[in-house]
Amino acid sequence: MTVAVMKTKAEQSFAEGFSEVQEKLPGSTAVRAIREEAAQRFAELGLPHRRIEEWKYTDLRNQVKDALPPRSGEKVAMTIADVIVALGPLAHVDAHRVVFVNGSHRPELSSPGGLAGVNIQSLASALETAEGGNAAIAGIASQHSDAVMALNTAYMSDGAVVQVEAGAALDKPLMLVHIRAGKAPCFAAVRNVIEVGAKASARIVEAFVSLPGAAGDGQINTVTQVNVGEEAVVTHVKVAADAGEGVTHLSNWMSRIAKSAEYRGFQLTQGVNLARNQIRIDFDGEDAKLDLSGVFLGRGSDHIDTTLVVDHAVPSCESRELFKGVLDGNARGIFQGKIIVQQAAQKTDGKQMSQALLLSENAEFDSKPELEIFADDVVCGHGATCAELDKDLMFYCQSRGIPAEIAKVLLIESFIGEAVDQIDDEAIGEAVMAFARGWLS
Amino acid sequence: MLEIKNLHVKIAEEDKPILKGIDLVVPKGEVHAIMGPNGSGKSTLAYVLAGRDDYEVTDGDILWNGESILEMAPDERAASGVFLAFQYPMEIPGVAGLTFLRTAANAVRRKRGKEELTTPEFMKLVKQKAGELNIDVDMLKRPVNVGFSGGEKKRSEILQMALLEPTLCVLDETDSGLDIDALKVVSDGVNALRSPERAMVVITHYQRLLNHIVPDKVHVLAHGRIQRSGGKELALELEKSGYAEFGEKAA
Repeated sequence: MTVAVMKTKAEQSFAEGFSEVQEKLPGSTAVRAIREEAAQRFAELGLPHRRIEEWKYTDLRNQVKDALPPRSGEKVAMTIADVIVALGPLAHVDAHRVVFVNGSHRPELSSPGGLAGVNIQSLASALETAEGGNAAIAGIASQHSDAVMALNTAYMSDGAVVQVEAGAALDKPLMLVHIRAGKAPCFAAVRNVIEVGAKASARIVEAFVSLPGAAGDGQINTVTQVNVGEEAVVTHVKVAADAGEGVTHLSNWMSRIAKSAEYRGFQLTQGVNLARNQIRIDFDGEDAKLDLSGVFLGRGSDHIDTTLVVDHAVPSCESRELFKGVLDGNARGIFQGKIIVQQAAQKTDGKQMSQALLLSENAEFDSKPELEIFADDVVCGHGATCAELDKDLMFYCQSRGIPAEIAKVLLIESFIGEAVDQIDDEAIGEAVMAFARGWLS
Repeated sequence: MLEIKNLHVKIAEEDKPILKGIDLVVPKGEVHAIMGPNGSGKSTLAYVLAGRDDYEVTDGDILWNGESILEMAPDERAASGVFLAFQYPMEIPGVAGLTFLRTAANAVRRKRGKEELTTPEFMKLVKQKAGELNIDVDMLKRPVNVGFSGGEKKRSEILQMALLEPTLCVLDETDSGLDIDALKVVSDGVNALRSPERAMVVITHYQRLLNHIVPDKVHVLAHGRIQRSGGKELALELEKSGYAEFGEKAA
């Protein structure tokens, strides 16, 4: 027995919108069938709401008022100089860029040529071929229980399909640049599929930025799947740094880490009005290492949610999570971190920490760590803190002649610096810090 | 010249008065020691001079070079020449010592209408001053005071003092936690800053610091008031008799 629930305006618009654009979306017949199935699934589930445990702090049914139209078919005129402006501090990172605007690949704005050791294809073209389509949609069926992911599967217009050859060591980072541009507000669903071969090493940056003059409103739904091969070393950074007033950023990372591999993930979220960053990590082989960190900066009515699940299914893996937030005005930050240690996962070593700095009385931070441990020989711990700027430290800085405003920035930078330092690439770390500094000033 | 007139102070959120009418004049070029039993209000006086807002001045005034500093924020006081060497210097995780020193030195220079120091100028200055205080410059690449020993923290305070070139130095229990060698290094650092243009207020519980930093005057602070003033021999007298005559048991 199901109880019929009234569809919200946004839910209706997403459903109707799909039937309007479905013919224009890329993909083989098989892909079309999967899209339809996903759209159907979304129609059944609706937007997640607070009565679903994992969504109790982020009620999308209430917070997403309407669906913006997808505009992946409309081409906004842009130059490489525009890309550099949109990238801000990330433009200083010497990287191989693959550029997408409003959810469509733009080869003419991307770095020319290839990057040694990597095969990069646009998702749109991959979906047209049986082989590429299979790689891109592998595992999708099992993801349908999540309405946000189902929405992505139905609407995904483009993204990058990346295959790093076994043993390859990329000499520069690969940057997947997603730009919001144009006066018309729009919805973009993108999907990146990244496969890193055994013993390979790669640094991958996803940038979600906007071009000055872009519509204030926008909706991004992004899914990135990463497979880290045996003994591979992957640094994966996502920077969501928008400038709009009403930008919604719904993101899913799904990463599998094979035996003896090392995966370092980092996420920066700022300038986004409503963000839900979901991260799902599966350990597939022993002796693998995960280092996950992030910084979220909110002010005004910003709502930034990080919800992660780390599943230790195999023994002897190590996981570290460190997330830091700075919240001002009426902003709200949420951190939900679930660490599962299955019975077989003996010798698991897991530590998690979430910390928030509240700059105003109305800012709020909700932290929900969850440890589900079924093995008996493990070391696991978690912690959460929430504090104001340290008055004694402020006085100390000021007594040395440092004005309050500069002292504040210095102390906030030092607070988030600990998380940014987890990025093991100096240029990317500096760019992330420069974004944060820009937000602070 | 520092002039403290009938200064009354209480903790901002409590009613209990701590300083109950302090009168004190410290001319430029002089070093005045303020001694007194624990809880007499010595540290409160130091904090109030530096502008900590946990305290409320209920009466009286503090004049520095003829102008009241009570309405000035701590950073403005620092720019006008006031420096407090903390009894317990703070640790600032995540902020490199050199960044902190340079930010402070240049903030103060800007407000004093001086050119900011370039990186090479700053590094040259830091190396010189740090060398005089036996501080390894590599230590300053680490976060401010994090992992420093008690003696290293105190030397780091004196280094900050030397770099900011204050004209009113307030040293709060600078001798606490120092062994005899560190005490000598710190005292030499302070003595090197003595000049006809500088006034110093040295707050201490014990006389031993005053063997190294010889004061021009000694004041005894107890029960929130200056109870007695005299020359440097007053410190020696207190060392023998303790603070008993001021209503305190010997420590």
